[in-house]
Amino acid sequence: MAGPELLLDSSIRLWVVLPIVFITFIVGVLRHYVTQLLHNEKKVDLQQVSDSQVLLRSRILRENGKYLPKQSFAMRKHYFNNPETGFFKKVKRKVIPKNPMTDTSMLTDMMKGNLTNVLPMILIGGWINWAFSGFVTTKVPFPLTLRFKPMLQRGIELLSLDASWVSSASWYFLNVFGLRSMYTLILGQDNAADQSRIMQDQMTGAAMAMPPDPNKAFKSEWEALEIVEHRWALENVEEELMCQDLNFRGLFSEEEISLCLCL
Amino acid sequence: ILSIPELFLLYRFTNYMRDKLRKWREENYRNSEQIVDVGEELINEHASKLGDDIWIIYEQVMIAALDCSRDDLAWSCLQELKRQFPDSHRVKRLAGMRLEALERYEDANKLYDSILQDDPTNTAARKRKISILRAQGKSSEAIRELNEYLEQFVGDQEAWHELSELYINEHDYAKAAFCLEELMMTNPHNHLYCEQYAEVKYTQGGLENLELARKYFAQALKLNNRNMRALFGLYMSASHIAASPKVSAKVKKDNVKYAAWATSQISRAYQMAGRGKKENKCSVKAVEEMLESMQITMS
Repeated sequence: MAGPELLLDSSIRLWVVLPIVFITFIVGVLRHYVTQLLHNEKKVDLQQVSDSQVLLRSRILRENGKYLPKQSFAMRKHYFNNPETGFFKKVKRKVIPKNPMTDTSMLTDMMKGNLTNVLPMILIGGWINWAFSGFVTTKVPFPLTLRFKPMLQRGIELLSLDASWVSSASWYFLNVFGLRSMYTLILGQDNAADQSRIMQDQMTGAAMAMPPDPNKAFKSEWEALEIVEHRWALENVEEELMCQDLNFRGLFSEEEISLCLCL
Repeated sequence: ILSIPELFLLYRFTNYMRDKLRKWREENYRNSEQIVDVGEELINEHASKLGDDIWIIYEQVMIAALDCSRDDLAWSCLQELKRQFPDSHRVKRLAGMRLEALERYEDANKLYDSILQDDPTNTAARKRKISILRAQGKSSEAIRELNEYLEQFVGDQEAWHELSELYINEHDYAKAAFCLEELMMTNPHNHLYCEQYAEVKYTQGGLENLELARKYFAQALKLNNRNMRALFGLYMSASHIAASPKVSAKVKKDNVKYAAWATSQISRAYQMAGRGKKENKCSVKAVEEMLESMQITMS
């Protein structure tokens, strides 16, 4: 239930809401340039690229093999899984386990990543929490349950206060994600200030990049491919096609009519 | 000095042209003359308003200029790019492409080799070397190099398509079909790959291949009702099977039915095309006669 509407001092708007937006934005832009300065080219291993593409092809074969004729599918499955000469059976890659603690390049990469992304967020968040604590900053336009209160109303100990009224720390986090499109406008695509994209990349990167042990990946792909059967999608394609007239809408413009007549 | 409304119109114009160039770039159009016209004007008159986009536009315009034999424009674009990105492999590749356009294949090859020495995973340089072989007419070597390339980079669809073209030119239809199967697998909803595959199967001939051809023509039509080539292909393959002496009565009946359906759809298409036109009657009759003459008769 919405409580009685609170009236906030307008100097909160002037001295809290706007400065937080400003700070978040400036810090984001700074992060972008610092990341560019510290960035160094990653050398890509040919073998890894090749292997990841092979795994992708095998996965596509599993998913879309039903569009191929039976024999073609069998031929490819045989190429991968044949007990003697199949790719997944024959190819063993030498794996050097890369310990993240001792491998220097990975260590520096991790440190750089942490430094430019996590550290500023923690610092600024903490400072804002300290500097702008004890009062309500803004109201989110949608109702929230009481469970959000301890999270969003840090420093405000009012039991009866609606959970929609949030503190400055939550306004800061709102800004971090909300200013993404502003960064795209100012810094162009692919900017390093875009934290949520970085987090997304970390998630998909784990799925797409070669796992440190290609042999394991090969084995699991072999198992997956072994159990796939070929159910041809084109079994009854003519009947499916001919149950209704073809839809020629959009086919005929002036030029195409004359082209058809010239056929 | 332009007035405010003129400035506004100029701004709108440059944005419009820039968006058009981006669309052509992202969708891989090859309308080089248009790109050269638009791009040249943008670069010469409105360079300041393009900001950082100008570099990718230089690249796009340079490649289009090479297509139109505009070496002057290509050279100036290349100079600008070289000045801005002095050690870039991407720019080196463009320099190599210019040498290719001037038919200086030895120099181009040397340039690409130097890129590959520096970065063995650079796919662009390898593909350019294969294009040089193709331009020189050395198709068997091009095929061999392309096969080696594809062994390492199995996912490169552009390369699979190029290989299928090369095989078709060499009349090695079985291998061309394999390449097209790769493309169909990775792009199951692309009706053009289905249609090309069906055409290769039809060319190979033989009852099994004709049946496959008919199925894939039908699939292409299912994916895109307006693919006229696939419709004609469906008609041809169905009639071919129906006319073959080795088929059972049921298969023959089915294929006659398919061919008849295809004929009716073709006539429908021509009638719709000629709607309201005087020549309609003649063209529809011409289509019917053509279909009759295409009937496969048993020899």
